[in-house]
Amino acid sequence: MRVLILTSGVPFTRGGAEILAESLRDAVCAAGHQAEIVTLPFQSCPPSRVPEQMLACRLLDVTESCGMRIDRVIGLKFPAYLVPHPNKVIWMLHQHRTAYEFWDHPAAGDLIHYPDGQVVREAIHRADCTLLPEAKAIYTLSRNVSDRLRRCSGIDAEPLYNPPANALLFHNGPAGDYLFFPSRINSVKRQWLVIQALALCREPVRVYFAGEADNPAQQAECAKAQRELGLTNQVTWLGVVSEEQKCEWYANSLGVVFPPLDEDYGYVTLEAMLSSKPVITCADSGGPLEFVVHQHTGLVADASPQSLAGAMDALWADRRRAAALGEAGRERYLDLKISWENVVDKLLC
Amino acid sequence: MAQNHGLRILIATVRVPFVNGGAEIHAAGLCRALREAGHQAETIAIPFKWYPPERILDQMLACRLLDLSETVGVAVDRLIGLKFPAYLIPHPRKVIWLLHQHRQAYDLWQHPLSDLHPYPNGDDVRAAIHRADRELIPQALRVFANSRNVAGRLQTFCGVQAAPLYHPPQDAARFYARPAEDFLYFPSRINPSKRQDIVLEGLLQTRSQVKVYFSGPADEPAFERKCVALAQKKGCADRVQWLGPVSEEKKRDLYARSLGVLFPPVDEDYGYITLEAMLAHKPVITCTDSGGPLEFVVNRETGLVCEPAPQALAAAMDELWEDRELARRWGEAGRARYSDLRIDWATVLEKLLA
Repeated sequence: MRVLILTSGVPFTRGGAEILAESLRDAVCAAGHQAEIVTLPFQSCPPSRVPEQMLACRLLDVTESCGMRIDRVIGLKFPAYLVPHPNKVIWMLHQHRTAYEFWDHPAAGDLIHYPDGQVVREAIHRADCTLLPEAKAIYTLSRNVSDRLRRCSGIDAEPLYNPPANALLFHNGPAGDYLFFPSRINSVKRQWLVIQALALCREPVRVYFAGEADNPAQQAECAKAQRELGLTNQVTWLGVVSEEQKCEWYANSLGVVFPPLDEDYGYVTLEAMLSSKPVITCADSGGPLEFVVHQHTGLVADASPQSLAGAMDALWADRRRAAALGEAGRERYLDLKISWENVVDKLLC
Repeated sequence: MAQNHGLRILIATVRVPFVNGGAEIHAAGLCRALREAGHQAETIAIPFKWYPPERILDQMLACRLLDLSETVGVAVDRLIGLKFPAYLIPHPRKVIWLLHQHRQAYDLWQHPLSDLHPYPNGDDVRAAIHRADRELIPQALRVFANSRNVAGRLQTFCGVQAAPLYHPPQDAARFYARPAEDFLYFPSRINPSKRQDIVLEGLLQTRSQVKVYFSGPADEPAFERKCVALAQKKGCADRVQWLGPVSEEKKRDLYARSLGVLFPPVDEDYGYITLEAMLAHKPVITCTDSGGPLEFVVNRETGLVCEPAPQALAAAMDELWEDRELARRWGEAGRARYSDLRIDWATVLEKLLA
């Protein structure tokens, strides 16, 4: 089959979605097909730009190339998943979140602040409700995304889990004196919440942050909070690290902190499990809650600095227990039978 | 942080899914050169399908609707537009480096290779393309063209001026020369626009036992059959080698050992083959209507420019075949000319980012 993977991307920004698209392409090719990724640029501000880009997607024609049929397209992200095709399957990474669950969120909401935000929100809802069912089948990244889709658009979709990139590279190592938080740095991943929690820890907890800020201002804010709270020694910014380095930072950590706001899926959770490390997440973190079992493979705290500080203290104070939770996480990963073969079978059938 | 990494530059082009050609190599080369110069660069490739003609209008509109002025609140410093209709994407600091316009609406209109004019709405779509190019290309800060040939067409059809801006072929530094052996080399896609057929017909008329090696993938079965049939004719069979697709390394070896290079396409935009031959110190035989190659081949100094007819090609092939010293001298002159033209990425970036 000739398979086109359609996604939207913000130029110069690379994250989980880009890695997922590339891994999917490789998996489709490994199954003996031809696959390519089409990434359409997406700019969400000002809101009036969003309907224009929805229209742009509807105007594209990916039914054939040079007279030869394109057999299947797989749509991943809004608005690229709106590109028409008679054999389209959607594997939804997420809808346009600020038109849905982030609409009135104090930190993540953006549309709501514009005079035309409500109109654009309705246009997005209408497009999703009307056009998503054009697809032959709809899958999602996670139970969390499926739940939102049913709640917000009345559409049922089966979750389809995928392994993180380089899953085989992750391994366990001797637990060192730090908790690890690898992620792009932005307000939704909530590095700031961890910094506030650190100020309340009773134990001398240290956190290593890896990853780049989407926007220099967000990095500056985190650094400022760190200074103001006097956390010189407790916080280390590693910046961008290679995949190999990342695996080592996981392997040598005591555990992983990953408290994002309503994450769609979250490779960090799975990478921690593959590295046999316990995961601290929050009750409103979304995707990670499908994997982290409280007090069995990690700790689920409330999304408050106090509660998160309590969880970090608990891991720090009982290293044996941290190791046991990590081992249980690794077993749980294996039980879930997460594989690309399974993903490709479903998307191409 | 962004400010430590030079400019943030986007390259806008189009892509026909699953097709890789010169345009993809060009965009990738530009992106690599920008990154090596310390900039952040990425390529945006909009999928393109040109039939039926009304789809072209849809895709022109789609491009006009995209917004590449900033990403997550940080400005995109420069947009470099390469191909129609992606070069129509608006941007306050856009530079166009035109690879070519939609040729079927211009120089290939009513050409047998074109599939725009036969449609009932072909005329209307052509007019819309002309209007868009005339009005929107001049919105760019600066307009460059891939070659003088492409700049000339833009001037003729749209009245828009563009400076030619040459760039090196892929892996330019890896080309080399070896002593000439007994064959002329024709590396190219096997395609009617490249005219392998007139070279084969020319071979039947040479005085000498000229040999030609052809390499490259065949992308039109009917034309390939025609060429193979010609190659099997009496007097031709033992003088033609049909190598098919070859690796880049093998291609450079064939250039290096050839006596000279044949490249007689129809109105080529630019033509890496001419430049590769020059880099390999080989004379080039091309035709008076070949377009791009004529900007580089100086008749009787770095090669031969002949009429696009079998007989004329036969005479040109005989001349190189019979005077090896002349062929060697013209090849050396071609290499010197390449250096004089300053065809390198540093020069390209200097112009595009000025």
